[in-house]
Amino acid sequence: MNTTQEPVTVVVVDDHAIFRSGLRADLDSRITVLAEAAGVAEAIATIHEHRPQVVLLDVHLPGGSGGGGAEVIAGCTALLAGTQFLALSVSDAAEDVVTVIRAGARGYVTKTISGAEISDAVLRVASGDAVFSPRLAGFVLDAFGTAAVASVDSELDRLSARELEVMRLIARGYSYKEVAKELFISIKTVETHVSAVLRKLQLSSRHELTRWAAERRLL
Amino acid sequence: MREALLRSNDAMIAGVCAGLAAHLGVSVNVARIGMVGLALAGGAGIFLYGWLWVLVPTQEEQLRKGPTPVGPRLTFPKPPEQAEGTRAATTGQPDGLQNGTQSWIGKREVLLGTALLLVAAVAIAQQLGANLPLDTLLPVGVVAAGAVLAWTQLDESRRAGLMNGAGASQAGGLARLVAGLLLVTVGVLILVSGSIAWEITWSTLIATGAVLAGVFLVLAPWGLKFWRDLETERSGRARETERAEIAAHLHDSVLQTLALIQNRAGSEQDVIRLARAQERELRNWLYADATHQSGNLAERIRAVAAEIEDSYGTPINVVVVGDTELSAQQEVLAQAAREAVLNAAKHAGGNISVYLEAGPTGSTIFVRDRGSGFDPDAVPADRMGIRVSLYSRMHRHGGDVSIRSNAEGTEVKLVMPENVADGAQ
Repeated sequence: MNTTQEPVTVVVVDDHAIFRSGLRADLDSRITVLAEAAGVAEAIATIHEHRPQVVLLDVHLPGGSGGGGAEVIAGCTALLAGTQFLALSVSDAAEDVVTVIRAGARGYVTKTISGAEISDAVLRVASGDAVFSPRLAGFVLDAFGTAAVASVDSELDRLSARELEVMRLIARGYSYKEVAKELFISIKTVETHVSAVLRKLQLSSRHELTRWAAERRLL
Repeated sequence: MREALLRSNDAMIAGVCAGLAAHLGVSVNVARIGMVGLALAGGAGIFLYGWLWVLVPTQEEQLRKGPTPVGPRLTFPKPPEQAEGTRAATTGQPDGLQNGTQSWIGKREVLLGTALLLVAAVAIAQQLGANLPLDTLLPVGVVAAGAVLAWTQLDESRRAGLMNGAGASQAGGLARLVAGLLLVTVGVLILVSGSIAWEITWSTLIATGAVLAGVFLVLAPWGLKFWRDLETERSGRARETERAEIAAHLHDSVLQTLALIQNRAGSEQDVIRLARAQERELRNWLYADATHQSGNLAERIRAVAAEIEDSYGTPINVVVVGDTELSAQQEVLAQAAREAVLNAAKHAGGNISVYLEAGPTGSTIFVRDRGSGFDPDAVPADRMGIRVSLYSRMHRHGGDVSIRSNAEGTEVKLVMPENVADGAQ
């Protein structure tokens, strides 16, 4: 997934200075941190100024009108073609994550993640792929249902059998590599499936998803 | 969603029209012209305006009351200065009070001008020969002025502005009340004495009714105001209680854990264990929602994972899809899952993933670790754990177990259908 030798440019957005400096130290040499920001307005301005490939974005941010990370993404829609957002959260609870994913983030990681893992996640997002944690895969399965699929509904509203398998394995704690090995497919194919699921999660207006989110007061 | 009907800060008189315009989604001018039109139509607009003025709260009053809770989700009260900031941000006024005073001065001139124009109009009409019943109009005007004076007591923001401008205090309010009362009484008396020529019964009836109405007109806003103050105080006290409860909980849990973490800073294992346990507890307290009642399988599996995480210090990530009742069969599944997680924590260590997929037809649990793996067939017969706890127990209740193990870790799959053993037993 890391085909270029150029380091990936990153802006770190988090309101805790300790966390920002820790994260900066954790990221390996394949990644260059261009700038940091602590609040919603500052983040939008910084991202527009530096145009990074990836923004590491805390879900909970002060400032703006209280929308946190999702508001930052909404303020940078013009840049979405060249800038990917990777959401960071203290934990992968549905409350924290689904809103920011629906706003346009390409994935999310928890703040307890190790340095190597987060570097991998940044590179993956920079190359246009999605980063799913087991918990997010669980949300997807919960929201779209685990029942057998038939392509009756709009394509956006259902997961294909293969996507369902991939989501299940990720929810079980498998890495992309392990998923590929398990299903006898390439990692690239796994990434394609995950990206497709992410797109569905972002765009689907399927009423089960809406209801699922409404029950948990997510949308 | 439609904007709540609130009196706006952008006000000519009391912000009714601007608030109405925002609520109905029309321009302010349309609302104002409509209101004037209604006022010309027999004075209906004046009554509507007065009624809305009294009954619709201003934006500040609504903010002070706090947003209506959307659900049982707990929100932390903001510290005062931050709350002040959001209020200023919402109303778009850096300094609400000062601004209010300025706009009040502007409005006073507008009101004065309107009154003068009215008087002028009446005088011109009189000059032109229109026979206006001045001896009726005058007392009615006096009554109206008195009533307005008394009713302005109700408007908190207006009163704040007035007090700020004139340095008035409680005595000012009392003086206005007395003045209003006097004006209304005088007006009513003039009105009644003007009609003394009528039959005696009629005039007595009218006089009594008028005086009573006048008194009610003056006293009603006071009653309303006291009732509103009471409401404000009650909601304030409720928030205070909630805050105290949160403070108590944070003290008992988070502060204690932080102290423990400082004590055990040397042991990484202990610190991680404490932090994870505290995170779990806090999250459970914050987000425990009505959709997941305890006693269900998902809750049971989470509790099992939490217990083992606490005693072994290995992070256990639980992912749950769906949920089902904790029937006797699913209890067996939960116990088997406990055994599987325990084995993983004991023998493999490191991160453990638990995945539960539950539905009305049955449940499946995967427990995966990153240990060096083992051969399930090579486990000696005297090792009771796997054979008794997993295989025979699950098989006895209609479930199934499969174990896959290699150098990259072990995955135990537990399947328990629902309503199969029920018929057998």
